[in-house]
Amino acid sequence: MKRRFNVVSLLLLAILVLLSACSSSKNEEASSGPSGSNQPGSSSAEASQKPAKQVTLKLGLPGSYDVTSKEIVDGFIQTHPNIKVEIQEAPWGDFTSKISTQIAGNTAPDIWLQENAAILGYGKRGVAEDLSQYIERDLNAGDYIDALFAAKTPEGQVWGVPHGINPIALAYNEDVFKQAGVALPTDDWTYQDLIDNAKQLTVKDQRYGFVGSSSITTGWFPWIKQAGGSALDESLTKANFDDSATINGLSQLIAGIQDGYFTDADFVKANGGEMDTFATGKAALMFFQYSQQVAMSDKFPNANWNVVKIPKSVDGKRYVPMVTNSWLIYSKASQDAKDAAWEFLKYYLSEASQAIVAKSGSTLPVRKTALDLLQDVKTKPLNKAAFTDGIAEGGVTLDENASWSEWRLKVQQVVNEMVAGNVKVEEGAKQIQTEVQKVLDDNA
Amino acid sequence: MHKQGFWGYIFTLPFLINIVVFIAFPVGFSAYISFARWDLFNSPEWVGLQNWIRVVEGREFWIGMRNVGVFALIFVPAQTLLAFGVAFLLNQAIRGKAMWRLFYFLPVITPWLAGGVVWYWMFNYRYGVLNWLLSSAGLTSIRWVDSPHWLVVVASIAMVNVWKGMGQSMIILLAGMQNVPKEVLESSQIDGATGWKQLTKIVFPIVTPMVFLVMILSTIAAFHAFDVFLALFGSISAGIPERNVVPNLIIYRDAFLLFKMGPASAAAWLLFVIILVITLFQKYFEKRWVHYD
Repeated sequence: MKRRFNVVSLLLLAILVLLSACSSSKNEEASSGPSGSNQPGSSSAEASQKPAKQVTLKLGLPGSYDVTSKEIVDGFIQTHPNIKVEIQEAPWGDFTSKISTQIAGNTAPDIWLQENAAILGYGKRGVAEDLSQYIERDLNAGDYIDALFAAKTPEGQVWGVPHGINPIALAYNEDVFKQAGVALPTDDWTYQDLIDNAKQLTVKDQRYGFVGSSSITTGWFPWIKQAGGSALDESLTKANFDDSATINGLSQLIAGIQDGYFTDADFVKANGGEMDTFATGKAALMFFQYSQQVAMSDKFPNANWNVVKIPKSVDGKRYVPMVTNSWLIYSKASQDAKDAAWEFLKYYLSEASQAIVAKSGSTLPVRKTALDLLQDVKTKPLNKAAFTDGIAEGGVTLDENASWSEWRLKVQQVVNEMVAGNVKVEEGAKQIQTEVQKVLDDNA
Repeated sequence: MHKQGFWGYIFTLPFLINIVVFIAFPVGFSAYISFARWDLFNSPEWVGLQNWIRVVEGREFWIGMRNVGVFALIFVPAQTLLAFGVAFLLNQAIRGKAMWRLFYFLPVITPWLAGGVVWYWMFNYRYGVLNWLLSSAGLTSIRWVDSPHWLVVVASIAMVNVWKGMGQSMIILLAGMQNVPKEVLESSQIDGATGWKQLTKIVFPIVTPMVFLVMILSTIAAFHAFDVFLALFGSISAGIPERNVVPNLIIYRDAFLLFKMGPASAAAWLLFVIILVITLFQKYFEKRWVHYD
């Protein structure tokens, strides 16, 4: 009996020790946690008056240093000895699926980056910290291009700041143009010029004029914008797919693919993907995202190519779709961690760091002075102004709002059917209109 | 006795904790979530039957059930019959038996990623080997997994699933056939029973428990189909047409891409109930043709 009592006591003691350990770690967390103030700047201002205390910053890096420059992270670590940086890295796909579970379990990093559209959804759900007051306090908005506010809501909250901007331009394979005896494209091209030249450059089943992508950024979105249409209205609450201009834009893209002067999916797959098809001269033109230049230079260093701005739309204006990845600060992080995260963002947006971003070629910086540095970068494509001037002239996001992931999926399902010839464009557009509006209403 | 009981509980405690934490709690929680609005980030909010009504009244889940139902109707008999035939042949005294067994089992151990890529290319409309074979024989090329007809898509994917899963069923049936007493077969031979008669009157009745097991497992696998569809469609975010969806793709998309845990849980439980009913239905008819003695 006595022996059994001893064993039970021992077990109880072990459980008590375990529980007290957990509670003490929670207390420690709480003591270094939120200061109780909801003003993002306040505790940081106080902190700046006190001697710098040791803080641990958990930094999430999807795609690791293939996406974010290691030089910047190392520089931050060196210049901020009071901030201990813990890197949480994973391949992009794994990271984005992991992060939702981490958020549910309240174990997310203090700061990480993701697609801007995902950030907007996170903001709506209360996951992201509103950075508007941090920006107002510490940054001079005039030093940055408008895209600094890519994650700003109509209500004025800013759910993140750009990790980089990834616009599109029109890439052309110079060898193919020479071979076909066709004049090179210019910044003055319209989409009709693109179609006419694509027809001229096409050699049936061997070479196509243009890579007919069915994805959003380099596919259906620029095509509907150029025709004067849009996915959503300006308030981003109403679908616009039943608009005749939107339908016209979709029709032009799909006609190009089905009539055989734009590549179809089978041809692109068989040739190793869109970039390979273009680089090997099996397509003369393609919409090219800025970040693709790194892979293009690595894989096809001898390809003879360059870019011009994407063509002008029917109204003479230019719409340059751009994808932004943004840094967000986790709303449930302790105030100390939030302040450390903001320190990191200030460092990331500083002149020196933005210069590193510019040289990397993986994304466009948002600081104007860093954008100027691109003129000195001599990697292909040489005409970097096609991207930077393009953004300045008509940079647009992909009609991103908090339900973007959901409605984009609905559009993509039907566009794929249109491209395959299974659904007529008008019929498909009606279907998209109904389904997208339902998503928008459900998420209002 | 009492003392032994105490220690018994102490020793089973880790397993009980494991069962409660990793099985009972998640299952119970997902049942609760099916009646709640939950986006993974904020606290669940009770919404009653809303998620269930949304799934039941929605079109998509039933399109998924139609697809997976037809998929099961093609896949289960095809796999069972082929596996039975191959097992029967490999149970005979043939040369290179071990090699043939390995050959048929190979797809089972091939990762879906590799197998999926191979089939993805074989199905390519313009450059795939299947259409090359068809056109070489003077037949029309087929759009396989990107056909406008859902039945063609489902049948194509069922074909891949048979390729992948047949080896496992074959091994189970082969194990059953090896238990058929040799003396029974010999005496039947003396009585003049032919190969076909031996197969239908002796071998099949004896292996019916294995055939039943294979059919139950294949049915459950068919209704759980996810990886084969995903491998051949590429990715959910690339936009899988609605006519081609299966329930698990819908559940995965709603839960992990759109963070709509409520409808995803309701769909998962509805799928569970349907599989349970089908399994009970199979179990009910089991007594009529499965012989355990």
